[in-house]
Amino acid sequence: MLLQELLRDYLPIAILLFVATGMAFAMVALGHLFGPRRDGKAKLMPYESGMTPIGSAVRRMPVRYYLIAVLFVLFDIEVIFLLPWAVVLRKLGLFGLIEMLVFVTILLVGYIYVWKKGALEWE
Amino acid sequence: MSPVIGIVIEAIIKSALMVFVLATAFAYLTLAERKIAAFVQVRKGPNRVGPWGLMQPAADGIKLLFKEEMVPAGADKVLFFLAPILTMIPAMVIMAVVPIGPDVELFGRSIRLGISDLNVGMLYILSVASVAVYGIVLAGWSSANKYSLLGGLRASAQMISYEIALGLSIIGPIILAGTMSLQGIITAQQQSTWYVLWQPVGALVFFLAGLAEVNRAPFDMPEAEQELTAGYFTEYSGMKFSLFFMGEYIKMVAVCAIATTLFLGGYLGPYVEQLPWLGILYFTIKTTALLFLMIWIRLTLPRLRYDQLMAFGWKVLLPLALANVVVTATATVLLG
Amino acid sequence: MSEEERNVVAPEQVPVADSIVARFGNALRTDDRDGYEGYVVSVESLKDVATVLRDELGYDYLSSVTGVDYFDEGKIEVVYHAYQTSGGPALNFKVQVDRENPILPSLVSVYPGADFQEREIFDMYGVSFEGHPNLRRILMWDGFAGHPLRKDWQEAYFEEENKPFDSRWPGGDVKRSEAENRFGKNVSYPDEFDIDNWAPEDDSSLYAGLNKSGSNGKKLKTDSLVVNMGPQHPSTHGVFRMVVALDGETITDLQPVMGYLHRNHEKIGERNTFLQNMPYTDRLDYLSSMSNNLGYSLAVEKLMGVDVPERAEYLRVLMAELTRVSNHMWAIGFLLNDLGAFQTPALYAIRARELILDIFEATAGSRMMCNYMRFGGVARDLPDTLRDENTVDFIGDLVNERLPAAIDELDRFLTGNEIVRSRCIGVGVLPADKAIAYSTAGPLLRASGVPYDLRRAEPYSIYDRLDFEVCTRSNGDVYDRYVVRIDEMRESVKICQQVMREIPEEGEIFTGKPQYNVRVPKGESYGRVENPKGELGYYVVSKGKTNPYRYHVRAPSFINLTVLGEMCKGHKVADAVVILGSIDIVLGEVDR
Repeated sequence: MLLQELLRDYLPIAILLFVATGMAFAMVALGHLFGPRRDGKAKLMPYESGMTPIGSAVRRMPVRYYLIAVLFVLFDIEVIFLLPWAVVLRKLGLFGLIEMLVFVTILLVGYIYVWKKGALEWE
Repeated sequence: MSPVIGIVIEAIIKSALMVFVLATAFAYLTLAERKIAAFVQVRKGPNRVGPWGLMQPAADGIKLLFKEEMVPAGADKVLFFLAPILTMIPAMVIMAVVPIGPDVELFGRSIRLGISDLNVGMLYILSVASVAVYGIVLAGWSSANKYSLLGGLRASAQMISYEIALGLSIIGPIILAGTMSLQGIITAQQQSTWYVLWQPVGALVFFLAGLAEVNRAPFDMPEAEQELTAGYFTEYSGMKFSLFFMGEYIKMVAVCAIATTLFLGGYLGPYVEQLPWLGILYFTIKTTALLFLMIWIRLTLPRLRYDQLMAFGWKVLLPLALANVVVTATATVLLG
Repeated sequence: MSEEERNVVAPEQVPVADSIVARFGNALRTDDRDGYEGYVVSVESLKDVATVLRDELGYDYLSSVTGVDYFDEGKIEVVYHAYQTSGGPALNFKVQVDRENPILPSLVSVYPGADFQEREIFDMYGVSFEGHPNLRRILMWDGFAGHPLRKDWQEAYFEEENKPFDSRWPGGDVKRSEAENRFGKNVSYPDEFDIDNWAPEDDSSLYAGLNKSGSNGKKLKTDSLVVNMGPQHPSTHGVFRMVVALDGETITDLQPVMGYLHRNHEKIGERNTFLQNMPYTDRLDYLSSMSNNLGYSLAVEKLMGVDVPERAEYLRVLMAELTRVSNHMWAIGFLLNDLGAFQTPALYAIRARELILDIFEATAGSRMMCNYMRFGGVARDLPDTLRDENTVDFIGDLVNERLPAAIDELDRFLTGNEIVRSRCIGVGVLPADKAIAYSTAGPLLRASGVPYDLRRAEPYSIYDRLDFEVCTRSNGDVYDRYVVRIDEMRESVKICQQVMREIPEEGEIFTGKPQYNVRVPKGESYGRVENPKGELGYYVVSKGKTNPYRYHVRAPSFINLTVLGEMCKGHKVADAVVILGSIDIVLGEVDR
């Protein structure tokens, strides 16, 4: 029974995924089929406003971006926790509300800490 | 006939229809954007291919089909090939859980107008939306191009930053409806009223974060022409380029469709109970209105700078969305 | 016009105090050549003289530096024009060096604004400036052989020293150089050229000179990224290139690179006759050809000593001010594009410009390349009707109703816009002292709080009789430059209204008989006008023939770029584009 429900819910999504993927690949394949190809050394140079690129483009990047990624993981987990809670909030009543307020408060403290530390400033 | 085969046949037909409709919507959305831009800017816009330029998207598509595709030297060939596909697929798949009309009777079967109705629909949307960032990061990284790299990094940082606000803004409707199923949220709105009235702040945050999520102006930083030429898809041409383009526009449609479902009552409208097919019309009208709003904003506003954009996401939208959740929850519990 | 008023057009040189002349003895003497003015300074004391001029006499603004190759005398002369920002005529001093071994001390430490101009002289004449921080070619590429403005340098397909060439005139036998070009139709490369193994010029010296370390002294080190923005880039306003060193998104250094549109305008100018140069000036700043014409006319009229009839003066001012309005409309529209607006503000900004161009077209015959002014007047009078309307009514309606409305519209939508304000205020700040030192001009200078406008500082034409304000702002950021442009448009419209009220109904528009080949008396002259983009100067040397011996353009776009790197440091990449937009350059003028 459960299996059938899963099948009913997720099989169509899998099929859509399949169709969409097929279409994406088909589009690329068609482009490959019809498009001309005339390569040249200068032509295949990465575009840098018409100049020969200096240095590699693949390099260590500013640590800022990693910091943002870490913060994202923290807060996104918060969102994931809130989702099921939101569904059953009416059943949980006051208890659930206070429980979550405590959780949000702890997060808020962290948020304020991060803000004050300057992690949200872009320089 | 076993029920599984029925499900499969129905799903295949609906999936094919969905992909076709979205691809057409993409094509005519580009034309609509150009026509609206022309109207706003006192110009004529495309008017040569077919009446009122209606065949313009077809001409563009054919042109792109015959364009040379280049893979820059030094690029990671596999990822470079996969990135546009990875951008397009989530954009299409995210629409799976959005109901575009009530159930209708056809050939003696009750058909749901929508691919599926998950009980964790909102969670599904959030997770698929997260996947979309991969294509963009990989495109930026695999191109071996500095503009692409910067564009890809900007895009990823921007998208994950606004995803938090996006995730928080949908909690309001979930609390009110008590379900994560989109069909359930619409049914709940049928019993009360459009949630945009109960959740104006949530709706606003959702729309703004959605704009940032699909990289539309004024949050179109990753492809900021003024400094990064075309951002992460600088090196792409031909059909691969059009996949990125398609991904962006279908994501626009998806964001507007989800916003319609969550806040504007989805397919609800007068006489929809008597004539279920009307639901599709109402849904289309509401989504189109939101799309028009997105285009209008792009044509009107200059762009924020990158640091201002990140600050807006983290320091304005995030606290606003969090406060909205707390207020909604408190009001729901205390006032019933 | 009376003799007194003529003096306004050609001011006499203000003598340097005798005590100072005495202090330098032989090192500083009056230039006594026929038709020349100013002083000749010896090479050794050049820097001292410049310092004294700047610090003791208040000549704080170095307008123009240029070279002249006196081939027959075996000398190269470098000519400096310095001004006081409080107003008044130029102080012109020159220094002469041997053609074979030209070495001069650099004045960059005294006047930082000499930076690009000295590089240009190095490039064009081969004069080495000792002590210059970055003496490289600026308009030609590094591998170029020779110095194009030297009199013994000849271009490809050289025919004769001076136009009109015998092969074409008066017979009308046209022979085009393109026809001799073996890749004239650009379909094949020469035999020895191998596209696959061709390596573009090496810019290692340029890249090595960049400051790649951020100045913030962060503990975590990140790789600095050197990115080329341009020449083929959507937002550098043409084939202009900025080499940007980035730390994350922050600019640690920026070097402007130009010359991709260089066509040796000045050499062409020396081949042409005086009058033939007029249409060439249109192509400098092609958005404001009317004002370009005016500046060149003034320079040559000074040498010729001709009067301009009253009506022609009014017409000139009318055209120049309409040009200013249309140029600022574009500048603001483009600035908004640089801010990331999707063309909408730009297209609204240029709606009214179309009407201005209609006037130009009806009067001069062309919308952009007007070629309207002549030495001693203008080419044509206003037509009777324009767009089926009486021309005077049309212009009156434009300057009294439509232009003010268009400016108000821009002002209403943009000035208070939150995003515009947050992107522009505090970005690209240029303090007043730096603005003067770097010889910036036009709205860039005035937004920094320096009320220096040539129409007031050294009035030409009839500007001394007109009522208008010099618009300034005090912060010197991108936003102030924008506001100054809005204000200047209002003042220009005010001037146009006065012109339309006071212009003589009838009258000559040209002095004397129009001539194809004017003979210009010997001498030098420096004519300058307040162009929309800043001070546009023409330095013309005549040897009494029909062709200028030297024709130099002091291009405001070019010299304003000197300070670009300075303004961008510490800002984000996106700001560099906006700062460049706020300077308002046209590549036709930068590269010449």
